[in-house]
Amino acid sequence: MKTSLMMGVAAVLAVVGCEAGETGEGKGSENAASMPKDGYVAFASTYEVMGAPSTLIADATVYDGIGGVMESADVLIRDGKIVAVGADITEEADVTVDGTGKFVTPGIIDIHSHLGNYPSPGIGAHSDGNEVTSPVTAEVDAEHGVWPQDPGFDEALAGGVTTLHVLPGSANLFGGKGVTLRNVASRTVQGMKMPGAPETLKMACGENPKRVYGDKGGPGSRMGNVAGYRKNWIKAQDYDPTKGRDLQLETLKGVLDGEILVQMHCYRADEMAQILDIADEFGYKVTTFHHAIEAYKIGDLLAESDTCAAMWADWYGFKAEAYDTIRENIPFVHAQGACAMIHSDDARGIQRLNQETAKAWSDGNAAGLDISKAEAMQWMTANPAKGLGIFDETGSLEAGKRADVVIWNADPFSVYARPDTVMIDGVVQYDRASGLKPASDFKVGQASMMEAGQ
Amino acid sequence: MRKVGFMRALLSAVALPLVFAGANAQVFVDDGVLVAADGSLTRGVDIVIGADGSIRSGAELSAPAGAETVTGGWVSPGLFAGFSSVGLVDISAEAPTNDSYTEDSRTSVANRAADAFNPKAVSIGNTRVEGITHVASVAGGSPNIFGGTGLIAHTSGEFGSVVDEDAFVFVRMGERGQGSAGGSRSAAMADLRDALQDAERVTENSDADFGDVLTRRDALALKRVLQRQMPLVITTNRAADLLRLIELKRDYRSIDMIVVGAAEAWQVADELADAGIKVMIDPHDNLPSSFESLGARLDNANILDEAGVEYAFTTATADTSHNVRVLAQHAGNAVGNGLDWSKAFAAVSATPRSWFNIPTDTTVVWNGDPLELTSAPVAMFIDGQAQSLESRQTALRDRYNPLRNDTRPHKYR
Repeated sequence: MKTSLMMGVAAVLAVVGCEAGETGEGKGSENAASMPKDGYVAFASTYEVMGAPSTLIADATVYDGIGGVMESADVLIRDGKIVAVGADITEEADVTVDGTGKFVTPGIIDIHSHLGNYPSPGIGAHSDGNEVTSPVTAEVDAEHGVWPQDPGFDEALAGGVTTLHVLPGSANLFGGKGVTLRNVASRTVQGMKMPGAPETLKMACGENPKRVYGDKGGPGSRMGNVAGYRKNWIKAQDYDPTKGRDLQLETLKGVLDGEILVQMHCYRADEMAQILDIADEFGYKVTTFHHAIEAYKIGDLLAESDTCAAMWADWYGFKAEAYDTIRENIPFVHAQGACAMIHSDDARGIQRLNQETAKAWSDGNAAGLDISKAEAMQWMTANPAKGLGIFDETGSLEAGKRADVVIWNADPFSVYARPDTVMIDGVVQYDRASGLKPASDFKVGQASMMEAGQ
Repeated sequence: MRKVGFMRALLSAVALPLVFAGANAQVFVDDGVLVAADGSLTRGVDIVIGADGSIRSGAELSAPAGAETVTGGWVSPGLFAGFSSVGLVDISAEAPTNDSYTEDSRTSVANRAADAFNPKAVSIGNTRVEGITHVASVAGGSPNIFGGTGLIAHTSGEFGSVVDEDAFVFVRMGERGQGSAGGSRSAAMADLRDALQDAERVTENSDADFGDVLTRRDALALKRVLQRQMPLVITTNRAADLLRLIELKRDYRSIDMIVVGAAEAWQVADELADAGIKVMIDPHDNLPSSFESLGARLDNANILDEAGVEYAFTTATADTSHNVRVLAQHAGNAVGNGLDWSKAFAAVSATPRSWFNIPTDTTVVWNGDPLELTSAPVAMFIDGQAQSLESRQTALRDRYNPLRNDTRPHKYR
């Protein structure tokens, strides 16, 4: 008995020492007075851009991701950055790609993914996406549940996704921090973390928190949800870390200080309006409402408060708060002047965000709107970048930005279009013609995955 | 006076000239594409679609008086969703509105989806407006391996739209079946074999609880499969499990077997073809999302096609209820992954229709390629009747359309 207890403590110490580089208290450090060393960043990004030859993509149709499109245009990439976009670039590059008949777009950004924390295969042991133990789990970080070997990352890459935001699930009022990842092959999450990307906090409205905690001490109603948000914001206002570090309040205080962006799961229009009032009351900002089934009903309120909405093209009906969506949700929000975007929340949907965008674009115009494809392209590039606070780095093809680029074999608004080449920071990570594609360790040597053909 | 003025303001309707009316007039397709029942294409033809959905085509036809013209339109048979629970669910998470599963039912095979089907369900209209004229619906979950007896309905939304109330029997094997059978594939296969034996032996005079696995009424319901009155639809994904079903088919040659899922079917394509087993696969199924589908891959359809296996497409990896309506997108992606267009179209139209023996009398006029994301139906006909292209979602759309110059509160629009 004694021996096994000792071994347990030793194991805990080993983990704490290894991961945090701090003296372990042996029993969690949430209430310990130990402050992080000055300037110390826990779980810092170790992502480094690999070297790559300079590349000129010539004579392609180029969607810039901020509303423009150019025919027969060139894109010059050097040192991992976009150097120039336009007609007849004369500078030489190490590699020239003939873009005739091809389409070039910024790399796709998915603001709502559970790749890695609800990975494939979806077995119980892999279910690390939601700390369903309390309505307030602001102390957890999605990155600590991300398995970098999720084969879904590789398929998302083949679908043109270069950056993705992985969040905790939605059972809690305060679910924990999300993490913005570069979709690169890495043994560690730190190796995927986007350097400098703002931290985010996942929050959730509506049915999920009250359903999950209704018979576990609450909240058991939407009233309880709102009371739960407000009580914890009040605590955060009074948080003084010198009297003892508290991971929950540290995160909430980060929101109140404007350093951590709120990403809030919220379906119904009336609830989103109430959340905007709570943000007003406590002086923070909701960056993006996620799922936002009824965003089209309050596009004006979203525009006024400068709040983005991330939506599906057509999911609905799986629960009551998802009953009222329309296929024109994204274009209607866009037409009301708010920041609209597509998101997946799904390991298959993330592979085809261009198709989801195309459906929404087409349905909006069928309802009488006059949105160009180039404008709609923002829904999967610039706008999710804005929603994550990384638009100065990626999300458009503009000089000086990271060269996150997809070369498509056809117009990405077609169901038949496929990425030919996907680059992250100017490095080719996926190339259809040559067969270059990352493969998770999980797939290595699996007899069931052997190539067909005799 | 002020009150009258307010009322008048509330009543003033704002016309939205946004959606092609289509339904009650003849339609003329100028320089369009005609899709035959087998999916083969005739391009560059003019097509006149009568008010009853009848089709006349030729090289240079002229538009009949009063016909609405669609330039470059496509005319095809309706789409057929071969695996769904459409019409059985209002809101998935609200149990009283959801008849797509049972937790504690006394019956199994004898449970008929037709007894739960509601043609007025919101999902019916939303499915119809995407060009889907028929759905196969069945309850997918139960405390045992048997999901019950499925139906085929058209999507008019009218009472009486179920065209076959006893269309197929549904069984769950593989990982879903092993869970229901008590935790092992061995138990699930024992249940299935013994249930078939029960079905062979059962008569109207058997005791109510006579069987090893099935009661009299459930065994009688399953007997129809052995008598080849209807197919047996079975979910299975792993190649090794598919081989066991092929064995079963050897013992019960009369069973018309359709496997749903079939993620690893490509590994045993020749064996499936030899056994005459049909498969319903999802062209989006490419992740090792479970250990029974480690071998899932995007070109499953291409390999099955080459081997001569009969296949239809589903949306099963995405949704089988409200969003079955994206069926055309799934078929389109099969084309994007190398399958012939006509074969992909047949896999969401003629192929499942023939399996369930539903006569073809549907016409959909599209404003473009039916499998494209940006195409939509502009007119639809089922059994000669023009169909509405409106649904609850289009009504909400019209109420909240930002182009609407309407200052009344939304509830009065």
